[in-house]
Amino acid sequence: MTARRFWRRSGATGWALTAPATLAVIGFLIVPIAAVIAGTFMDPRGAFAPYIAYFNSGFRTTVLFRTLQISAFTTIISLIFGFMTAYVVSRAPGKLKSLLIVAAVFPLLTGVVVRAFAWLIILGRNGILNQTLLSLGIVNEPLEMLYTQGAVVVGMVYLFVPLMVLSLVGVLENIPKDVLQASSSLGASPMATFWQVLLPLAVPGLIVGAVLVFTGSFTAYATPQLLGGERQTVLATLLQQRAMVSFDWVGASTIATIMTVITISIVLAMSHIARRINPMAT
Amino acid sequence: MTQPLDINAVSAHYGTTKVLEDLSLSVQAGELVSLLGASGCGKTTTLRLIAGFLAPTSGSISLGGRDLTRLPTHKRDIGLVFQNYALFPHLSVLDNVAFGLKQRGIGADERRKRAMAMLERVGLAPLAERAPGALSGGQKQRVALARALVIEPPLLMFDEPLSNLDAKLRVDMRVEIRQLQRANGTTSVYVTHDQEEAFSISDRVAIMNAGRLMQFDRPEVLYRRPANTFVARFVGFENIIPLKVVARDGDIVVAETAGMRLRLPQSLFGQIPDTFLLATRPDGLVVSTDPAAEGLSAQLGLRTYLGRAYQYQCETPAGHLIANGSLTTPLEAGTNVKLVPMPEQCTILAAEDAR
Amino acid sequence: MSDRPHPVLIGIAALVYLFLMLPLVIVVGAALSDTTYLTFPPQGLSLRWFQNIFEISAFRRTIVTSLQIALLGTLIALLIGIPAAYALNRFRIELPKWLGTLFVLPILVPEIVFGFALLKSLTVGTGAPIFLSLLIGHTLIVLPYVVRVISASLASFDFSIEEAAISLGSAPVKTFFTIVLPNVRAGVIAAFILAFITSLNDVSVSLFLTGPGISTLPIQILAHVEQFFDPTVASVSVLLMFLTVAVMAIVERTLGLTFLAK
Repeated sequence: MTARRFWRRSGATGWALTAPATLAVIGFLIVPIAAVIAGTFMDPRGAFAPYIAYFNSGFRTTVLFRTLQISAFTTIISLIFGFMTAYVVSRAPGKLKSLLIVAAVFPLLTGVVVRAFAWLIILGRNGILNQTLLSLGIVNEPLEMLYTQGAVVVGMVYLFVPLMVLSLVGVLENIPKDVLQASSSLGASPMATFWQVLLPLAVPGLIVGAVLVFTGSFTAYATPQLLGGERQTVLATLLQQRAMVSFDWVGASTIATIMTVITISIVLAMSHIARRINPMAT
Repeated sequence: MTQPLDINAVSAHYGTTKVLEDLSLSVQAGELVSLLGASGCGKTTTLRLIAGFLAPTSGSISLGGRDLTRLPTHKRDIGLVFQNYALFPHLSVLDNVAFGLKQRGIGADERRKRAMAMLERVGLAPLAERAPGALSGGQKQRVALARALVIEPPLLMFDEPLSNLDAKLRVDMRVEIRQLQRANGTTSVYVTHDQEEAFSISDRVAIMNAGRLMQFDRPEVLYRRPANTFVARFVGFENIIPLKVVARDGDIVVAETAGMRLRLPQSLFGQIPDTFLLATRPDGLVVSTDPAAEGLSAQLGLRTYLGRAYQYQCETPAGHLIANGSLTTPLEAGTNVKLVPMPEQCTILAAEDAR
Repeated sequence: MSDRPHPVLIGIAALVYLFLMLPLVIVVGAALSDTTYLTFPPQGLSLRWFQNIFEISAFRRTIVTSLQIALLGTLIALLIGIPAAYALNRFRIELPKWLGTLFVLPILVPEIVFGFALLKSLTVGTGAPIFLSLLIGHTLIVLPYVVRVISASLASFDFSIEEAAISLGSAPVKTFFTIVLPNVRAGVIAAFILAFITSLNDVSVSLFLTGPGISTLPIQILAHVEQFFDPTVASVSVLLMFLTVAVMAIVERTLGLTFLAK
């Protein structure tokens, strides 16, 4: 009796159970962000005035392109090294494999500030790298490594390689073993199996990983702030400056909108592509 | 083209567990041999050793005189049909079939021609451009078969290829596999846990248990003359009665169990030792209500209906036995009867491993 | 057999792991140094920089705030996230698909944009207290982790067990607590830990939602680093890492470590 009533009400029950979380996301996330975006189109100077102003400023367009560039470098480097590492991890014997996975999880659970700070100690003018290079006589004067694009990219790669490794280990482990065995039984050498079977099957996972890293580095704040400073201003640090230092709400909102639109379009486009080429889908 | 396979004293141990103990098995050129047994009996391990996915602890494997033992899988030239088909999900049906040819350096046009011809043979030519994900189970298995056959391997192996198909398709597919194998004359090893499948498809069957070979012979021999109690029970000799010879009178041997006597014609069984086991299927024990009949006295227990006969659980002084009775006269539980063994449906086993 | 990757690949993987581990080792070393500037290897071992953390009142206060926010935010996220995850799995057919996407939105939109939006509409727009805004912000950024991890647990839960309990006369709500929840215990623990650590480490949202007297630890670290270059921050970092290790040890005890990899 009880059970029957329970079943009949199920649709409504489902809605009721999701209601608090749904309302929280709509009320505190969707509405505020929609308000930010809408605000940029209600400028007294005209609907697109803030965007025209943004793209007319050489500095701000430079910041946008720098951010895209840093994200692209970070993604490519993380992808290459992450894939190679994930391949080795996925082939490791049981005990070692879980140890390697833990070793990748640990930095991931350590905060971004701590991880950026570590590179501050290493790359600083009196940092460990400079001290080492000087004492080895490789350089005569400390190198200016901090506040360069390279420093930001290194910090970002450091941030995202563990994520890439973990997600790609998952992808590689999901490729059925017998498909790889079938390949070698048909005479494919290990190299041929890698290029003709393993890699094509990993592509959807690689795309997902790349999106994760690209959007992550595109919107990262702490790492470019600490390792790039004002010389390597990116969208996130610019947004913070506009909002908290200059109190330029319209400018900050414009940057926020640009970041949101780019992030969401990349996620949607890439997940669409990943789904379409995913051979495991059916 | 077709070559004999020799497995020579092969053992495989994982740590301290012995998965395979001293297995020797020869498959003649063009022969189809099944490895039959329950899961964990070592049959799949044997197949993986031949394929090179595992390395034996000791022993050697050779194909047509070529030693495979240390050769990596991709150099062994063995066609393998997997239980889960293991089709390449990112390649079309045609490219799946052509994959092995590509590895052998055969040009694109020739590849396509041969793969299409093979798909034609398994009746899948119209689906050549499809993705494997869009096929039914039976179609996938045909693609897997075509993919393994097209490289014209000297040895073809099947790892429970039909276990994911439904019953009707299973029977059709095994006929098809047998026909293709016969037509090509390819030496084949076929792993299955399905006795009917193994018996129907094979030239010879190797019955395995706990990593050891129990008996290796033609299905007809296995079915009528199992070599030991394990194989006897496996092929359905559910009644195994320990007997002692008390008298020999020309061809007739009189044997006794629990105070009851049976007469057996020696000529049917060859030499009958002084103590032995008599094994029969339920069909080989006739339920007789004639108190004068010469047989084992029994009391009937539960009766079940088999369609072609009634089956009775019987309690006898010689232990629990199962017998089939005629459909015309169903008998009630508790009836006292005689169970009469039909000699031509019995077989004799050595007594050493009684029970 | 021939499963072993190429030695060059193994070498590269080893270097990647060195790259991952070395900076953290350096931070630990720097924290233990007796010097007033950051250096590695440490010169003279000392714990005085750890003591220093607690002597600076800003660190003391922000550690407390961070822990409060992380704990409260995680609990609220569990409170609203568990029913949502349950409903998404149990009423998969009845509920629309976009609802599942809705709950991952907070990690889909740039966090820094979310932080700014909350500042604009909540703190400035309605004059809500900073602590409350901070709590709301953190609850939302950890909600996706809660819903996703618990959903994953529920996905492997056989709902016919629940039906069996109900058919035996157990009331639905009681069934949820006595049958469903115990079976996804591992998921709840994992969600709690993941959410707690995420909240504790958050920068981008907190960045905008701090004000006079209220800040979180990561924001305080950022501020400190920009002014001083002493080992205090290294010590705080070590403290945070220590917390992470402790948490991982708890996970290892209860669920096994590979669980985190998912």
